[in-house]
Amino acid sequence: MATFAAYTVIGLSLGGIFSLAALGIVLIYRTTGVLNFAHGAMGMFSTFVAWQVFYGWSHPFWPGWFSTFLAVVAGLIFAAAMGLLLELSVFRWVRGREPVVKAVITIGILLALQSAASLIWHNNQYHLPIYILPQQWVLSVADVPIGANSLVIIGAALGLAFGLGAFLRYTGFGRAMRAVSDSPTSASLWGVPVGRVGAVSWMLGSLVAALAGILITPFINFDTTSLTLLIIDALAAALIGGLVSLPLTVLGGFVLGLLETYPTIWIQSIGFPRLVALIVILAVLVVRNPRGFSVAAK
Amino acid sequence: MFRLLGALLAFAVLARIPVGFDVGFKFDAALAVIWAFGLLSLVLLTGYVGQISLCQATFAGVGAYTAGMMVSSFHVDYLVAVVAGVVAAAALGVVVGLPALRLRGITLAIVTLGIALVFDRYVFQDHAFEWFTGGTGGWRVSQATMFGLQMDSSAHLMAAYLVLLGLFCVVAVLLVNLHESGAGRRFRAIRDSELAAATMGVDLTRYKLLAFGMSAAIAGLGGSFYPLVAGSVSPQPFWLFTSLQFAAIAVLMGVRYVPAAALGGAFMAFVPDVLTRYGHGAFMGHAYEISYDWFQVAVGVLLIVQLIALPDGVWGDLRRRFRHAWSSVGMVGGRRVKVA
Amino acid sequence: MTMLRVRDLTVRFGGIVALDGVSLDLNRGEILGLIGPNGAGKTTLFNCISGVIRPDHGSIYFEDQSLTYAPPHERARLGVARTFQNLQLWGSMTVEENLIVPMDALGRRNTFSDTLYLPFSGYAERASQERARAILHVLDLDRYARTAAGDLPAGIQRRVEIARALAMRPRLLLLDEPAAGLDAKETARLAGLLHAVRQRFHVSMLLVDHDMSLVMRVCDYVYVLDFGRMLAKGQPSEIRNNPKVIAAYLGEESKNQGGDIHAVAQARNEEPPLLEVKKLAAGYGGLEVIRDVDLEVWPGEVVACIGANGAGKTTTLRAISGMIHARAGHVMFAGQDVTGSTAEHISKLGLVHIPEGRGLFPTMSVEDTLRLVSNTAGQEVDVTPAFQLFPRLRERRRQLVGTLSGGEQQMVALARAILSRPRLVMIDEMSQGLAPTVVRQLFEIIRVFREQGIAVLLVEQFVESALDVADRAYVFEHGTIGLSGPAVELRGDRKLVAGSYLGSAVDATAIATNRNGNGHRPDPALMEIVSVRVPARVKRALELRAETEGRPAGAVVVELLEKVDHQ
Repeated sequence: MATFAAYTVIGLSLGGIFSLAALGIVLIYRTTGVLNFAHGAMGMFSTFVAWQVFYGWSHPFWPGWFSTFLAVVAGLIFAAAMGLLLELSVFRWVRGREPVVKAVITIGILLALQSAASLIWHNNQYHLPIYILPQQWVLSVADVPIGANSLVIIGAALGLAFGLGAFLRYTGFGRAMRAVSDSPTSASLWGVPVGRVGAVSWMLGSLVAALAGILITPFINFDTTSLTLLIIDALAAALIGGLVSLPLTVLGGFVLGLLETYPTIWIQSIGFPRLVALIVILAVLVVRNPRGFSVAAK
Repeated sequence: MFRLLGALLAFAVLARIPVGFDVGFKFDAALAVIWAFGLLSLVLLTGYVGQISLCQATFAGVGAYTAGMMVSSFHVDYLVAVVAGVVAAAALGVVVGLPALRLRGITLAIVTLGIALVFDRYVFQDHAFEWFTGGTGGWRVSQATMFGLQMDSSAHLMAAYLVLLGLFCVVAVLLVNLHESGAGRRFRAIRDSELAAATMGVDLTRYKLLAFGMSAAIAGLGGSFYPLVAGSVSPQPFWLFTSLQFAAIAVLMGVRYVPAAALGGAFMAFVPDVLTRYGHGAFMGHAYEISYDWFQVAVGVLLIVQLIALPDGVWGDLRRRFRHAWSSVGMVGGRRVKVA
Repeated sequence: MTMLRVRDLTVRFGGIVALDGVSLDLNRGEILGLIGPNGAGKTTLFNCISGVIRPDHGSIYFEDQSLTYAPPHERARLGVARTFQNLQLWGSMTVEENLIVPMDALGRRNTFSDTLYLPFSGYAERASQERARAILHVLDLDRYARTAAGDLPAGIQRRVEIARALAMRPRLLLLDEPAAGLDAKETARLAGLLHAVRQRFHVSMLLVDHDMSLVMRVCDYVYVLDFGRMLAKGQPSEIRNNPKVIAAYLGEESKNQGGDIHAVAQARNEEPPLLEVKKLAAGYGGLEVIRDVDLEVWPGEVVACIGANGAGKTTTLRAISGMIHARAGHVMFAGQDVTGSTAEHISKLGLVHIPEGRGLFPTMSVEDTLRLVSNTAGQEVDVTPAFQLFPRLRERRRQLVGTLSGGEQQMVALARAILSRPRLVMIDEMSQGLAPTVVRQLFEIIRVFREQGIAVLLVEQFVESALDVADRAYVFEHGTIGLSGPAVELRGDRKLVAGSYLGSAVDATAIATNRNGNGHRPDPALMEIVSVRVPARVKRALELRAETEGRPAGAVVVELLEKVDHQ
């Protein structure tokens, strides 16, 4: 039973990451029509920037928490800048094109970011993780050890989900984003600045991806490829939410995290969780398939 | 037929190229054709039938592992191994085609991406599939025989290259034939308007599964030669990023054109190697070294630029300019053949 | 004899009932028309018959074979062909290839032999090419045989679609709005073409269109759909004069709301027009829907745009507000040239467009939607005036817009319009899908606009109400302006206006003599013309006679045969 609980904690931590990443994907998709395959790669790159600040440029005399703080802030600022840059230099020119074209563009971004990261930080090297809270801090609840970092992740995922929800619901700009997400054509008729909304979405999405990347480093192989490849799990969570509903997406992320972790009690395999993600994707798409000929329903 | 002559000519010219170069170059040449098969499979699947797929390298990998397994575990003639590889890849292709019956565009891309990742990280790397993958080292193919002749990979690279090149030319001609034929038209109808195709009598199920199967078979054909050329099989050449590169380069070169596949294959095999070999030295006092990663960055950036500016790909654009110049000379009019 | 039998067809999309127990009969040799206002369910019915959508309930029989489980390509094999409203040609292939594909698909072609170019394939290929050429010749498309279908102008593309459908050797041809985007002359040519096609190819047809002149000219029998239900059926001439049909299209005959028309007209000669549209042309894809549109709106005026569906009203509004690009012409608003500007920019200048479907955001609450206006204006806008005007909305301020009724949604759209203090509001089909009482309430709001000095450009199906509240009106026909003038004049000439909906006055003579395009005059009492080509008309006449006399059809037949014997 204790094992089960321990695995639950791990599953929820992993799920929290998926939720974070998926939130960014859904946000960007709804407001700009771009399904960002490069989401994981973007998060990865920003995470490496944070890593660089922490391990590369931090002064040894600074207290640990300060370096961590600086690193995280640097990573997030970089992420926002990268998001803005992408919208201004790439996606602004392809607003009218069909979604598949925009998605293939993100594949180009994925490849470029992946290799650029590999160049700068050398792939196949073991990188030390970034710990937001010291590794040793462990909470013990009914004999189950819960790492502090796990709590941070779960807290961050839930916090961000609520924060984002509140932002969308209660602020003026949030209203504008919801309008664009519901119907871009109607929104432009209402004078809502669709371009600006898109830019902010990219920045927010990139920020959230960076956060996800930074938080997950203690739990996985921290190299350029594994973070990029989390895109599949993030997509699975996003699909559970139907690429529409933020609450469902967050729920989907946590559920997926659990589904991927429990089998590892019996099956020791690096790749098996990815199979779980694929099965979830197929299941969701089959269940959600519109009645009748799929073409007519589009 | 011009096509046959063109293919023969291309074969004759291309066959001579690696002669006189070192082993590394010959390896690249053979690899170029293997990658060209992968790109060719995308020309069929995406260019002709309009189905998006991000797991073509997986099909090639299945071909490679099957061939390796057949030779190492069952000691068959390499020809049999190749056939087995093609069949295995085709079977997987049909299975992957099943979701395609109900999904299109982005959702299909997501599913194929998932499949590529699952094979890359799980099937090609996990203990459970060791009977298929030959364990962590992969199959070592040094005692292969083809047509009774001993094919030791290092000494007979040239022979392997010629066989690959010949097969490629044959498949290329067949694809061009297919494009013009009734079946090719039905494929193109599915691409241009699935709705109209279905209501005009085209059996979507049959043709989509056929397209996926054929496409996987083509990729698998190239892949099954990989153990012969490289001497062993490992997951790395067939990982997710290769599938993504296939998609990127196919689109970059022009996903509807057969020669674009050949161009792309050469691009994928030669450019990185040339860059790494010769791309180092000093520039303004700083030492620099160009590596494979530079190549991939360039591919990504080029793809983005191309999609924004040149939707028809490098080959497509060249072809259009050529035709424009040609027809303004007033010599050729006639049928629009968007194949080669 | 009955080729197509549709019984109790029901289709539901989420909460909306698209088709509600629809039944339909099509006889061999007939050209059957299916008409109805927008959203009546015509395309859904087509999609069910051709197999694109599966109905929730009901059955479809083609030549006594059930079509319920047949996939689309099976139905094609049985002989059901269709064309598409938005042209689904295979653009990268030549016209000839477009025709050969259905021929191949229905023959037994072999991918293997195709790839290897075996002799069998070559022979079959040549045979197909010849047949394709023959069809192209009948439709006068020979010179386009080798052109890529995507490069052709829209009118030619329509003919190619029909040719492609004919290449299948169908027994039934479903035509989905074949006259969309065609002007009066091209429509007349299309009518002749359809008759020729029926004669040469022995095809029965089911035709859906908004263009009444086409339907009247071509169809033997007409079914009318409204809100997913069968409203009426009969001969074209009967339908045209059926009061229920007229009401569905034109709106209830409303009592004159009184001459409330202020003398706004006088003021206009001194001021320049607020909105000036000159020679506007626009369309979608290859289709040019409007051409040469000229209109003006002066400050404070209420101008109505009326006309049949497909005539171009909505497209005109969209081109003015920037939703779609204008292909030619100019739009001047408040002295600025706004042709080609973005919708955002134009709305900020004070030109508000409430599109068809209201342009709202389903997952936002009423209050949030109204507060959205603040964002775009830049400052906080007080939303209380909106709630004063629409007390209903105040009760529902937290409700999601998507869950409101149609009338309430329209109130939200109008409220937003008022709050953003525009100079001109363009409203597209304000009354669509609403009950007459609600419509009357909403039209009162138009007067509020006028009081505040806001000009209104109104597109309406309900002619009566629109002309009641407007100063001037433009009547759209076939993609351009037909009539225009002060509303009072147009309102008096109801017949003229009705004509532009249900077939222009020009056709009146043809219809009055009860002839269809074949020139046959049905005379059920004598049954003289029992030709192979028109058994369908005979059957219809029989059914009608039997119905009116309250006897079984068989008895009528016997009696008439006796009469013939004794002639």
